[in-house]
Amino acid sequence: MTLEAPRKLVLISDRGDIIYRTVARSGGIIVLAIMTAIGVFLALRAGQAIGKAGFSFVWTQAWEPDANHFGISAVLIGTLIIALVAIVIAVPLSLGTALYISEYAPRKLQRTLISLVDLMAAIPSVVFGLWGFFSLQGNIIDVAKWISKTFGWIPIFAVDGFNADDPLSSDTVFTASSFVAGIVVALMITPIMTSIMREVFSQAPVGEREGALGLGATKWGMIRSVVLPYGVGGIIGGTMLGLGRALGETIAVYMIISPVFAIQPHILQSGASSISSLIALKYGEATAFGMSALMAAGLTLFFVTLVVNFGASAIVARSRSGQSS
Amino acid sequence: MMPQFARTLPRWAKALVALAGAFSFVVVPALPAHAADYVPISGAGSSWSSNALDQWRRNVEQYGMRVNYASTGSSDGRNQFRSGTVDFAVSEIPYGLRDGGVTDEPPTRGYAYMPIVAGGTSFMYNLAAGGQQIANLRLSGEVIAKIFTGGITQWDDPAIKADNPGIDLPSRQIVPVVRSDGSGSTAQFTTWMSKTQASIWDAYCSAAGRSTPCGVTSNYPVVAGKGFIAQPNSTGVAGYVSQAANVGTITYVEYSYALKTGFPVAKVLNSADYYVEPTASNVAVGLLGATINTTPGPQYLTSNLDGVYANADPRAYPLSSYSYMIVPTTTDSPFTADKGKTLGAFANYFLCEGQQQAEVLGYSPLPINLVQAGLDQVQRIPGVGSTTVNIADCNNPTFSSDGSNTLAQNAPMPSDCDKKGATQCTTATGGAAGSGASGTSSTGGSSSKFGTSGSGGGGGGGRLGIPLGNGPISCDPDTGECHNVVAEATKIESGPGWGVTQSVMVASVVLLLAVVFLPPVLGRTLRARREGKE
Repeated sequence: MTLEAPRKLVLISDRGDIIYRTVARSGGIIVLAIMTAIGVFLALRAGQAIGKAGFSFVWTQAWEPDANHFGISAVLIGTLIIALVAIVIAVPLSLGTALYISEYAPRKLQRTLISLVDLMAAIPSVVFGLWGFFSLQGNIIDVAKWISKTFGWIPIFAVDGFNADDPLSSDTVFTASSFVAGIVVALMITPIMTSIMREVFSQAPVGEREGALGLGATKWGMIRSVVLPYGVGGIIGGTMLGLGRALGETIAVYMIISPVFAIQPHILQSGASSISSLIALKYGEATAFGMSALMAAGLTLFFVTLVVNFGASAIVARSRSGQSS
Repeated sequence: MMPQFARTLPRWAKALVALAGAFSFVVVPALPAHAADYVPISGAGSSWSSNALDQWRRNVEQYGMRVNYASTGSSDGRNQFRSGTVDFAVSEIPYGLRDGGVTDEPPTRGYAYMPIVAGGTSFMYNLAAGGQQIANLRLSGEVIAKIFTGGITQWDDPAIKADNPGIDLPSRQIVPVVRSDGSGSTAQFTTWMSKTQASIWDAYCSAAGRSTPCGVTSNYPVVAGKGFIAQPNSTGVAGYVSQAANVGTITYVEYSYALKTGFPVAKVLNSADYYVEPTASNVAVGLLGATINTTPGPQYLTSNLDGVYANADPRAYPLSSYSYMIVPTTTDSPFTADKGKTLGAFANYFLCEGQQQAEVLGYSPLPINLVQAGLDQVQRIPGVGSTTVNIADCNNPTFSSDGSNTLAQNAPMPSDCDKKGATQCTTATGGAAGSGASGTSSTGGSSSKFGTSGSGGGGGGGRLGIPLGNGPISCDPDTGECHNVVAEATKIESGPGWGVTQSVMVASVVLLLAVVFLPPVLGRTLRARREGKE
């Protein structure tokens, strides 16, 4: 047997190919360039503040840039807490919604539900914020109170200054908290998470579904053995994308929380903080140095979001559903 | 596939044509709305005085003036004016004050201060005991300072009881609600604290990590773990206090917000040992003690309020102050002479006619000397031209033939029950005065929850499980203080009748709904038809 050298492939690109490739390539490069420019801009503007604060920027909790006493630790942890609360609420909600829409809902209802979820994504965040501030906050107090009464022994659910036996004790300790902000953010990220999960679930191979059903699986058994394993990449990817959005959510959080610049791990208690709401709150009245400090906070958020989103795409790409889609 | 597509195409086209038709209907009448030669101007700043400004802006729309105003807080307004992103700013405090160790630098372009309205920084609260909303609370200066510095934490504190012998105060935690953004209200309040309760204020300030003496600040320092709530904007703090669940809260906010949300304000003890409410006349009396800077220069017309805090008139409200508009005196970008024409006409309107509405809105009209000085400042705005305002035609309630302040002169004396001592008036204050339904149309929710309308008292017990409701407390014939201003405020806010603007608004809402709902609905029907045929 003689080994034949593999035939050399010659790509003859006509004009259409060249134009298409140029447009696509420049689009990709422009997106990358813009991202880099944002990062460079933030880093340049933040340089003054970070240079002055040094490493104390990492662990200082207060935010008094004009007194040169400021740091990212309290706001960064506050951001993560609000985002985690949102994810904990949004994941079961959107998982259930996505499964119902793709597997259980009758065809006619299916389309209505898809439209409704998409509409939910179109609601501006300021509307969510208004609703959270004026409507949800007053009505969620009893839930927060119950959680704190029942699970108060877990440190994060403890609330200082609340005595369950005193009927006159103030309910306001349960308002303006990470919990309330987290619920509102959860509702804001649910649509995008639901769409991604539903899309992946609906792509689960029909052959495998039929095989499972043919082997006598119930519907739930089929979902467990075919749809969910196939869609795990979509679930994780959707969750991470939702997390990325939750980290950056600004106005709704800004309207609800009562900002504190100290690490506040009690999620039910009033007082919370987030980087984006800090920027929204302070940029209007900041001095030149204060603005630089805010840019440093923005740079931190930029990196955190970048890491989360890269993580999401890596996980999605490695999963089976991610490769096929 | 193709024939189907061709058949569905005309429907799409029809829909598009219909949409385009609707759109043209909207656009055409909107363009030549007024044959006005006013160019739009925009400003930003104080939310303390924004209720008055918003009313004035609406009023001048009929002359074709479009004045945009963002009530983003005084600090933001001053910053934006300095960096040249707005045409004018509104602020309670001038440039150049030291705050947190940093001087608020004045802008490099020319500017001038112009007083726009007076008012009282009030202490609006939400308190109930035994199912009744408490609406006649009285507080002395020291107690207020201690409440807002965490020194007094319970409503039944002996110091508050001493101020309120007639109220059975509940054993509730006090929740002070402060501003989280840089604000003129905070500046007014902290100026007063630093001047009259310096030791309490400085002790708190240093606990919050600021250097002492703290003095005036626009950013209220919050010590973590004290149970304080910080909210952005006047609407934020007033909205927080007015929520049904937030019993026990108190905040500092302009009097108009208490009227608007239908909540009471604390009567504050003045130097004559009377507890007074920030009504228009009490503010006017209080401000007779203000010293206005009349030296020409950048600080021209700014005020020193020490005399207000110490005003010995029994009717004077101690936390009275002025709000200022910062106007450009040069045509540096973005300002132009054309914009100056609009700004000048707007300023002439609110300094003259607009002052009549100050009282019903919860503010106090400017006295004649400040109106005159303000009108002189208007002349410094480039592009104003020679406009003359006949000051006698302004119908300002403070004007008189002999130059004295009529509003202050005719202000009713406080009744004896308002004097410091064992008696206490039962009259409700602020937005809770009169029948609850009167002035609270904008926040019907909160008032009905509290049953301030009297009749609804039984149903709205809500969270406490007991009926809340203070009933309509009619005004005391002895005091002569009737707060029917609240009822008038509703009339003002009802707005003008149906016009082109209203039609355009409705059409745009319809269009917006169409943009949101039409694509999915159309997509569904098209897909259903296509699948039906397959």
